[in-house]
Amino acid sequence: MAVLEIKNVTKQFGGLIALNDVSFSVEEGEIRGLIGPNGAGKSTMFKNIAGFYTPTDGSVIYRGQNIAGKSPHAIAEMGIVRTFQETTLFQELTVFENALVGSHITAKTDLFSAILGLDKAKQTAANEKVMEVLDFMGLSDRKDQLASELPLGSQRALAISIALVSEPRLMLMDEPFAGMNPEETNHMMDLTCKVRESGITIILVEHDMKAVMGLCHYLTVLNFGQLLAEGTPEEIRNNERVIEAYLGGAN
Amino acid sequence: MNSRLKKIIGSLVLLATLVAIPHFLKFHHQDLLIFLTINVLVVASYRIVTLTGEWSLIHAVMMGVGGYTATLLFKNFDLGMWFTLPLAGGVSALIAALLCFPLFRMTQFYFLIGSFAAGEAIRLVWIQYVNPFGGTGGLSGVEPPIIGGIDFLDAIPYYYLALTVVGFCLFILYRIENSRIGLTLHAVHWKAPLAESVGVDTWRYRALAFVIGSFFVGIAGALKVHYLGTITPNQFGIGFMVFILIWVIVGGYNRFYGPIIGVVVLTVFDESIRSFAEIRPAIYGAVLIISILFLPKGLESIPAKFKAWFGIGSNSDAPPLADK
Amino acid sequence: MELILQSIVNGLIQGGFFALFAVGLVLIFGVMSVVNFAHGELVMIGAYTIWLLHAQNGLAFIPAIGVAIIVVTIIGLLMERFLFRPTRDDPLAGLICSIGVLFILQVVATLIGGDGPSKQVPPPFHGTMVVFDSLRIPYQRIFSLVVSIVALSTLWYFLTRTKLGWALRAVALDREAAALQGININRISMIAIGVGGALAGLAGALMAPLTNINPHMGHNVIITAFIVTIVGGVGSLSGAVIAAVLYALFHTFVTVYFGGTLATICGLILMVVVLIVKPTGIMGVRVSE
Repeated sequence: MAVLEIKNVTKQFGGLIALNDVSFSVEEGEIRGLIGPNGAGKSTMFKNIAGFYTPTDGSVIYRGQNIAGKSPHAIAEMGIVRTFQETTLFQELTVFENALVGSHITAKTDLFSAILGLDKAKQTAANEKVMEVLDFMGLSDRKDQLASELPLGSQRALAISIALVSEPRLMLMDEPFAGMNPEETNHMMDLTCKVRESGITIILVEHDMKAVMGLCHYLTVLNFGQLLAEGTPEEIRNNERVIEAYLGGAN
Repeated sequence: MNSRLKKIIGSLVLLATLVAIPHFLKFHHQDLLIFLTINVLVVASYRIVTLTGEWSLIHAVMMGVGGYTATLLFKNFDLGMWFTLPLAGGVSALIAALLCFPLFRMTQFYFLIGSFAAGEAIRLVWIQYVNPFGGTGGLSGVEPPIIGGIDFLDAIPYYYLALTVVGFCLFILYRIENSRIGLTLHAVHWKAPLAESVGVDTWRYRALAFVIGSFFVGIAGALKVHYLGTITPNQFGIGFMVFILIWVIVGGYNRFYGPIIGVVVLTVFDESIRSFAEIRPAIYGAVLIISILFLPKGLESIPAKFKAWFGIGSNSDAPPLADK
Repeated sequence: MELILQSIVNGLIQGGFFALFAVGLVLIFGVMSVVNFAHGELVMIGAYTIWLLHAQNGLAFIPAIGVAIIVVTIIGLLMERFLFRPTRDDPLAGLICSIGVLFILQVVATLIGGDGPSKQVPPPFHGTMVVFDSLRIPYQRIFSLVVSIVALSTLWYFLTRTKLGWALRAVALDREAAALQGININRISMIAIGVGGALAGLAGALMAPLTNINPHMGHNVIITAFIVTIVGGVGSLSGAVIAAVLYALFHTFVTVYFGGTLATICGLILMVVVLIVKPTGIMGVRVSE
């Protein structure tokens, strides 16, 4: 069964059409790659799914429910969490605190329990969850360091940790491999696989073709805001329209 | 264990100092001590508003809302201080909650100006409508309570009363800031989109901080009017708002105690330049400019700087909250 | 009818003042992204200069205006050089510094004029023009209106027809892009605050014979300037001028019929409504973050 169905989504900014009647669907448990040349509309698509944009037309169906136009935090509560393109972290907080922000949904607290300290059990559970995720992502040694002190690879891992703590069902990863060296890329690929094995569906926007081809089960290619092709990495690699689009972009 | 013992001893010394201090002061200074105590609550409550990164210019007016509420309740319904204090906070919080709808559609510059406009409008309403607000001349005749034969009109008993109330409020504010709610407020400030992506309703948290801050500054307003006995619109004008900003900024706003240090140090400083009478505001202005230019993280950053210069102190002592 | 006509004329003259200081505030905010809270005090210093030189020491009115403009311009330049330039990365720091200046200038005014009652400057132009038998306009006000219009027209010419004006507008639109084009941001900032300061000084000088002069007169000025700026659209000079005239008319009418305090309350509420409904103001363009 499809977890996420994009149906005829169009996004216009004034006269500019960033997405034009795009439809595709993502199955439970897969790693889906969303690729395309620069300006193809990948990030716009992400923002439409995560609620940062409202589609001009069309619908985003998540587990049978149309989420188009809902606010980002409402969508996050339904189990869709995105990570950001650049290393968006709370630089001035420690690794542990960063991840703890992610437990907002799972360990909701109200003002009075916070003042009176009535939510000890929830707090402890949240802390345990955070440690579990940091262990899983290999960050537990660095939990008291400031996020700004981490190397790039660990910063990306922390960004994913924040998302994981919120216990998502579907994770949108925006260019997790950008700017990484081959070693970091390999490590990140392992982590991404581990995340999927823990039962989370992943959609990935990425330029690093090696990572995309190695990780994804199925690829969706956008070009100039339109759906260009879909298929397995093998099919996409040999798809002439895709090759043309990328070469055209390179020229 | 050792550090806990240190903490306990430190708290006891602080408490003893606070209790003993009025007995060593002249009457005029006892007065000042009471206003200082109240102003500590003003800056501490302002801090929680600024935690989300929004600098409002309506805080002074919210204090006035509390003060006017206490005054009107006292004069018209004969309510004692134990009722007027929480009700003053409640009305301030309520007005703040209503103002959230227009104000938090704005951010940054627009929010600053919008909050200023809303505050001025409220203040002008006090001036315009002589009944019930008393116009420019304000209202008078508010009295402190008499509890168990102790007349709180005297400076020292009222100081203890204010100290107790303010101490209790500070404790609650501290708890909030160090709870997960406080963490979320920080998160909303530094990376709102990231906070939203993990389910934080940023609007709600900005509003929450604003309402909490207004609640406590409303209590401060009531505390002030019960001692002073009179209230006028000009007590809560942009002039006082600017003083709040100065205290918070000179003290430093990265830590809970920064603004408190600011208000204490500057009040003592202000008193020490009393003989300069009319040029005092200019000295204040100069101090403000100098601290912005040369001490952008406030007085609270001085100990860390000292430690850094002499190469002592651990990493965790430095407050490396990044500049935005 | 008479009252209405008279109010329209008074409103237009008031609009000229409003436009002079609001345009300066917009210019400074546009180019330097700093809210100059001391702008009202710049106007106040302009008025004090007239009081000191013209009313107290007998210097003729027109040269005194010239001195007022120069004095306030210099204060503006000093603020840019020593306060706004070092804090350019942090708009809040600039704002706080301007509040510091506000305090200092108020004290300077108190030192110059003493703490007593508000000062008055006797109008240097005597007589009243009578139109349609009943409409009376003092020559002093006509002079102010004409000078305001000339000053604003000159500014408009400068901004739209000269290379420097073009550079200034480019910086206001997008500072980084303008810097990449080789425009010297420091120089443009100096010009922006110089022009803004000169206009504020002029406004204060023109207002001096028509208003009460005291160290706190800047308060109403800055509130008016904020209302006009927001309603006109932050960063839009033509919007500020239009909003200044409209708001002055509105304020004059409400003052005549309901009183000044209520007029300002209405103005503030209007401003909050504009902020909610159309934060870009009547003429503004959305400036992206």
